[in-house]
Amino acid sequence: MDVRLPRLGEGADSGVIATVFVKEGDQIQKDQPVLEIESEKAVATIPAPAGGRVAKVLVKEGDEIRVGALILVLSENGAGVAAAVAAPAAAAPPPARAIDASVGDDAREEPVIDVPAPPRALPASARVAAGPSGFPIVHPAGAPPPASPSLRKIARELGIDLYRVAGSERGGRIVMSDLRAYVQKIQRSALEPRSTTGSPAPAAVLQVPKPVPASIDFSQWGPVTKQKISTLRRSISRKMVESWTTVPHITQFDEVDVTELLVLRKTYAPKYEAKKAHLTLTSFAIHAVVAALRKHPSFNASIDEAAGEIIFKDYFNIGIAVDTEQGLIVPVLRKADTKSVFQLSVELNEIAEKTRARKISLEEMQGGTFTISNQGGIGSGHFTPIVNTPEVAILGMGRSVLKPVVREGKVVQRTMMPLVLSYDHRVNDGANAARFVVDLVKEFENIKEADVKI
Amino acid sequence: MKAIKTEIVVLGAGPGGYAAAFYAADKGKKVIMVEQDKRLGGVCLNRGCIPSKAYLHAAKLVTEAEESSIRGIHFAKPRIDLKEMRAWKESILDKLAGGITGLAKRRNVEVMQGRGYFEDSSTLRVETAGGQQFVKFDNAIIAVGSKAAIPSAFDLGNPRVMTSTEALEIEEIPKDLLVVGGGYIGMELGTVYASLGSSIVVVEALDAILAGADPDLARPVAQRAGKLFREIRVKTKVVKMATAGKQIKVNLEVGPEKKEELYDRVLVSVGRVPNCADLGLENTRVGQDEKGFIKVDEHQRTGDPGIFAIGDVAGGVLLAHKASKEARIAVEVITGEMSAFEDIIIPAVVFTDPELAWCGLTESEAKQKGVNVEVAKFPWSASGRALSFDRTDGMTKLVIDPESERILGVGIVGSGAGELIGEGVLAIEMGATAKDLAESVHPHPTLSETLSECAESFYGYATHTYAKKKATTEQ
Repeated sequence: MDVRLPRLGEGADSGVIATVFVKEGDQIQKDQPVLEIESEKAVATIPAPAGGRVAKVLVKEGDEIRVGALILVLSENGAGVAAAVAAPAAAAPPPARAIDASVGDDAREEPVIDVPAPPRALPASARVAAGPSGFPIVHPAGAPPPASPSLRKIARELGIDLYRVAGSERGGRIVMSDLRAYVQKIQRSALEPRSTTGSPAPAAVLQVPKPVPASIDFSQWGPVTKQKISTLRRSISRKMVESWTTVPHITQFDEVDVTELLVLRKTYAPKYEAKKAHLTLTSFAIHAVVAALRKHPSFNASIDEAAGEIIFKDYFNIGIAVDTEQGLIVPVLRKADTKSVFQLSVELNEIAEKTRARKISLEEMQGGTFTISNQGGIGSGHFTPIVNTPEVAILGMGRSVLKPVVREGKVVQRTMMPLVLSYDHRVNDGANAARFVVDLVKEFENIKEADVKI
Repeated sequence: MKAIKTEIVVLGAGPGGYAAAFYAADKGKKVIMVEQDKRLGGVCLNRGCIPSKAYLHAAKLVTEAEESSIRGIHFAKPRIDLKEMRAWKESILDKLAGGITGLAKRRNVEVMQGRGYFEDSSTLRVETAGGQQFVKFDNAIIAVGSKAAIPSAFDLGNPRVMTSTEALEIEEIPKDLLVVGGGYIGMELGTVYASLGSSIVVVEALDAILAGADPDLARPVAQRAGKLFREIRVKTKVVKMATAGKQIKVNLEVGPEKKEELYDRVLVSVGRVPNCADLGLENTRVGQDEKGFIKVDEHQRTGDPGIFAIGDVAGGVLLAHKASKEARIAVEVITGEMSAFEDIIIPAVVFTDPELAWCGLTESEAKQKGVNVEVAKFPWSASGRALSFDRTDGMTKLVIDPESERILGVGIVGSGAGELIGEGVLAIEMGATAKDLAESVHPHPTLSETLSECAESFYGYATHTYAKKKATTEQ
């Protein structure tokens, strides 16, 4: 049987193969991971849809493939390799230049390294960048989209991915009127307010490739090492630029007295450990944040400028910034308001491990309403986190330290934790934020033994 | 020494180099074209496409005269004057090269005769007859091409062992000629020498001649060559060659069997190698692959951002028209246009008798890559035009995507296939369906009808063939 790349999640229609776990001749079980694919933000593991012997592997690490591309051919258990060897998996069409009988045909298959791309040309990778749902890929991989050379040239100049342009002619052939209609659709969808049920604005489509600054030869001042930017790093970079350039950021600084909490933690940590859960300040933070968010719904919201609306969410899905070897990933802990500190601790542990192993799916990173970034473990003090759009606020936690503080007129030793809140000033004003932080500190200090008990 | 400044320097004046130089000049750039040969045009014009086609035309004349006895036309055995023939060939080359020189002049492209050597990423030293010149450039386009490979074991320093370059000079008509390599160069030149009277043996190490072409398309070529040549031996290796008086002693291996044979001349056509030596590439950041070809990206840019490479030296298929296309891409990229070698199909033509031509996806490739295709074939025995000149040993073939009915590949074998394949290229590049081809009226009686009839046969209603096939799927 043919094994094709299944859907990866909303908006992700392609990815780069990170690891291929199987090789030709392997006997595999149903649901055994066959490959890992890196898309937009996650590395997803693709399980085998059935058991059998791997008759053919049609992809290799580093290949960029689309949903629906053939990745493996499985033969029935015991049966020979009679199974049809089907379409090439790599998104690239068979290179026409490989047809000659003369020497050196494979010379070009070598990926060319270290060649700076000309700034104006649309990179080939732009074609496979995951797009929003309003602009799906309509032409199958394996052959270039059917269109005349002149039209393909215009599309290249406009930076339009013809794989997404439906053709009106026989065989799906794209003609000028189709391209025109597609461009008009993009403009309309950019100008029109989004309908509540509609797809999000086609940001990826509208993004005009920005001029890349000319490469500087740093090696002229000393030795350098170069590293290819990973898909994840590119994705983080895009996301951060988007947030930094659209969200007017304000950061509120505070401290919370965690002396009592740490006592509670010391008491209960062993009990939690016995049940494979780590009781950390992040678990407490989620609990406190949810309580504060209930009182301040404008921090559990999103802004839709096109529609002129602020959307308040009646659910509490908390994003947790996880530091992985490859970079920042933010999985989402769902329905945090329905979970006890113990349940939160269990899940926190699970998703963090899953994320560090890069096994988190795209779905598991979507739908967050508020994010927490705890740098305490690393030893940070105060810092200014960037809002994880489309959320409107993010909480940063630093390292708890023993400090002299004044309590009832006396200087006493208390363990204080730095707390910061960055928020979107389009949605909340400073006074709101101050109230939120004051309440949040209270919620932290109000955590009772009853909340922690298992 | 004072350097000459230019915007673009093109190294090599073959079909890639002069196309690049002219196009850049047409776009208003100051261009210097450096060529070491006296005559412009590169291998294509001087030692490749053009002279071989001239000789193939002469060969065809001889063969057709011979075969005309069935039409009641009887010719005496032709008398061949090699000196006159060479002069005729030279006159063609002079005309073409003169044309290129004239076109360069009218565009103010400065032609510098000499050998180019990169001093660094922006300086080319040219060794001209009048001494060294230094050219400072913004961009360079390397288009120095390739040359026939000759394994050192065959390189006896004996003029009786030839590559295509020497073979095209036709110093004599050897009685027995061994052609080593059954690729297109060996088959084409074998055809020329056979028509002139040589007894030809072709040996090929692979299990078929013209590897890369679909077997059913290569078959008519092999069949006719089988009659014209003494023998075609596949899976045969040449182990050793040695001078033996006025002959060459050749040791062959056919599987476990060993043979020793004598030939008057040997043509070695086992492939081509890039002309990358002594270019000073080590003084730039231009990178090469393990076979020595220059590595380029889809914009024809080398590892050195100011330097581009096109044509044979950049690898891929070694064909003049690929070089010319790459020339356009390189110039467009230099002049700031968005251009890239992507989704471009390069047709291949083998000028044997019959000719063999194909473009896009071949049937073998589809099979090998597991692409689901349907194949439609139209035999030339059903073409009135082919019958009218007694050459029904042809076939037209379409490789079609069964779902969209789009044409993905076209293959043609038969007399004049090279002239017919252009329509296939256009069909594929335009994303045409078999229906588009079937619906376009082709003139009668011509061989071009085989394309539309082939498309009709895909739907099961070709006029001149009958096959029970699927019902029309047209809505």
